[in-house]
Amino acid sequence: MKAKKSTVVEITILSLLALLVVLSLLIPQFLRDRGQERLWSLSVLLRDTDSSSWNVARQGMEQAADELGAELRFLTLTVQNDPKEQEELLRREVEGGADALIAVPADPDGLYGALRRASDACPLVLLEADPAEGAASVAPDNALLGQRLAEALLEDWEGAGTVLLLDTSAACPEVRPRLEAASQALGAAGVPVDRIYSVPEDPGVRWVMAFESGATRLAGQKKEESGHDFALYGVGSSPVTTAQLERGTIAAVAAWSDYAAGYLAVQQAVQALHGHSQLLDPLPFSIVRGEDIYAPENQKLLFPITS
Amino acid sequence: MSIQAVLSLSFTAAAAAGILLMGFSFIWRFSAANEQTVAENSQRILAQANLSLDSYLRRMMRIADTVYYRVIKNTDLAEGSYSEALGLLYEENRDDLVSLAVFDSRGTPVAAAPLASMKAGADPKHSEWFQAASQSMENLHFSAPHVQNLFDDPDSPSRWVVSLSHHVELTRDGVTEPGVVLVDMGFSGIEQVCRNVTLAKDGYLYLIDGGGELIYHPRQQLIYAGLLEENNQAAALYRDGSYVEEFQGRSRQVTVKTVGYTGWKLVGVAPAESWLASTQFFIFGFFLLSFAIFLMAFLNFLISARISDPLRRLDESVKALESGREAEIPEEGGCYEVQHLSRSLRSMVSTMRHLTDDIIRQEAQKRRSELEILQSQINPHFLYNTLDSVIWMIEAGQQAEAIQMVTSLARFFRISLSRGKSVIPLSDELDHARHYMNIQQMRFKNQFTTKIEAQPGTEGLYTLKLIVQPILENAIYHGMAGAEDDGIISVSARREGGDLFIDVADNGVGMPPEVAASLLRGERPAVQTSGSGMGVYNVHQRIRLTFGEEYGLTILSEPDEGTLVRIRLPALNREEADRRQQGEVL
Repeated sequence: MKAKKSTVVEITILSLLALLVVLSLLIPQFLRDRGQERLWSLSVLLRDTDSSSWNVARQGMEQAADELGAELRFLTLTVQNDPKEQEELLRREVEGGADALIAVPADPDGLYGALRRASDACPLVLLEADPAEGAASVAPDNALLGQRLAEALLEDWEGAGTVLLLDTSAACPEVRPRLEAASQALGAAGVPVDRIYSVPEDPGVRWVMAFESGATRLAGQKKEESGHDFALYGVGSSPVTTAQLERGTIAAVAAWSDYAAGYLAVQQAVQALHGHSQLLDPLPFSIVRGEDIYAPENQKLLFPITS
Repeated sequence: MSIQAVLSLSFTAAAAAGILLMGFSFIWRFSAANEQTVAENSQRILAQANLSLDSYLRRMMRIADTVYYRVIKNTDLAEGSYSEALGLLYEENRDDLVSLAVFDSRGTPVAAAPLASMKAGADPKHSEWFQAASQSMENLHFSAPHVQNLFDDPDSPSRWVVSLSHHVELTRDGVTEPGVVLVDMGFSGIEQVCRNVTLAKDGYLYLIDGGGELIYHPRQQLIYAGLLEENNQAAALYRDGSYVEEFQGRSRQVTVKTVGYTGWKLVGVAPAESWLASTQFFIFGFFLLSFAIFLMAFLNFLISARISDPLRRLDESVKALESGREAEIPEEGGCYEVQHLSRSLRSMVSTMRHLTDDIIRQEAQKRRSELEILQSQINPHFLYNTLDSVIWMIEAGQQAEAIQMVTSLARFFRISLSRGKSVIPLSDELDHARHYMNIQQMRFKNQFTTKIEAQPGTEGLYTLKLIVQPILENAIYHGMAGAEDDGIISVSARREGGDLFIDVADNGVGMPPEVAASLLRGERPAVQTSGSGMGVYNVHQRIRLTFGEEYGLTILSEPDEGTLVRIRLPALNREEADRRQQGEVL
């Protein structure tokens, strides 16, 4: 009886060890299969007709794509800031098998609606825009940005004139919260403000605020071309904007790292594909004045390293 | 637990412990050796990178020297310009250079390539590279990475550079004045040197200046964007060599190599995963260990079964024997010890069986002998016949004979009892025979005469009780069957050495030798007369059982000549008789 019991114990132990061996053989195979992760296909939908102003962000995206195993498709519109075309582009990309989308939206809500109509499972990450329903966002705190930019203007305020706020929110939705916050801050300081929808031609204008990089660049160019002497406050860190800042065309800009924004957008998209999406903190930004652009920290922010 | 289980489990446990110990020590040694290899590899790669970087920097230094010794020294600014020469030098090295310029002591550009016009707000004199060159005149100075913002380039934004500056003596109108040569190196040359370096898995190389400022990092833009951190400030404090550091909760090996002249440091980073055993390696190791343990367990199971099976079979046989069943001890092969044990057990069992048989036989014989003794003690025929003879004598008025017979009968029984002793004095035994013969002579009306004697030397000797009477009975009933008045039965005791001989002889009908021999084998005589016929055999067996095989009866007989029955006993004195008596009691 005892001998029988011992044999049963031995056979049980041997069986367990054999099972262990089989599991040990299977687990590495399982891990190897898991390790061979697929290459994610990400589509980047810009609202511009030209992607050159997104070069730095693109470098960040490509760095992230390289590290996280994704391939990128950059798509521009034929008509600047055309929400319909962007929605159509989105639908086509989703149908074409894009795993996730990164968009600089012409119309965030419309774009998200178009996405939901096309797919329930495709993550969408918005650049610049405030978070929309169901879409992750990589952007600075737009209201805070508007407020800080207004504060920079107030530091230079000489007590005369009206501050013109360049409203391009029809094409760039992120402008609205920035503009409203700036308007509120200036109004609170007793500074008269007025809203305009294009760069002013009037030589008597003394204060202009633009709230997105395209408008800032354009306002700077027009100021240089016209020779008007208004103080321009804007947004962006493109080489053109930086040069305008250095030349004194722009008094101050709110700038953040486009490289970081691009990197984080891809990172967010890939994390969402892995099911680990999380709310991202707003991108940090700095108010940079012309005389400070060569400060060490601003050099790193405004001058991307190019080989 | 069975011996097989004990062997199998203990061997397996010992083997598993050994294998695990070896496995872990192997992994530990593997990791330590790997760490050492990674360190050596990193140091070797860094040495090569250092050579390349040194070569690159020397080339930059040669450019500065060329500007100074070939251009500035050979040109008087009052008579000529450096611009053409600088332009040629720039074109020659344009892949590595961003700009090449000479400034006077006020920071005014004397010549520059490829651009000559300065930005409006440019202030070279207060630049760090200008100050360093002016203060340390003998040396070439390498700046920290910075954006060069001196020259106005409408087509290209300002670029990141490392500035090489050197104090020079400018000649103007034969008079020398201090100046500074500026060689702005782009990042591409440095990047080419560093990017092509392959360290351990997931390892990388970065370059810092003496103050820990990053010059090159494969993820420099991420660091500048604030998305990544590097432990460059700590690395600036390391001397050349390899170190293990914890950074952001991860262990990694950092190898530092100082670049000659500049004080820059090449830092190679190898994450701990590159030398520690990986998860897959652990799983593979675990598989190997499991397999080894499984194999050992299996082999142990087989070996222990081979060792223990013969023992188990022996054990089962012994258990069967213990339970009283008929079983054979198997003849086992295998180990010498098991073979020996098997043989010993078989021998022991065989001996035990023989002994048991002997004991059973002896016990049966003993019981029969005791029964014979008892029968002889209370032979009812003998008693009846004797008492009948007494009655007859009394009726016939032969009172004296009757008294003698009754007296002999009483003495006969008293000696028969002897207080239960089995060893009695020889004299008592002879008295017992004498009284028996008295009774029988009266009954048989003196058909035979009796002579009982003990020779000198037999005094004080002891003998088994009631060994002579059965022989006398035999002599009367078989030997004297046809005797008339001439029958003689004699009993003679004598001592020879350590033996006592008691001869019982008669001159009766005798018997053939084979019949005599058959009496000692316990075979009943073919012709029954009276008695069991086993009395002589019983006496013979009692003596042999008591004293050994060399003692007992010898029967010499010839038909019509008579019979001599010789009893051989050890000559026991009183002490020996007492000791034997006590041994029997015990």
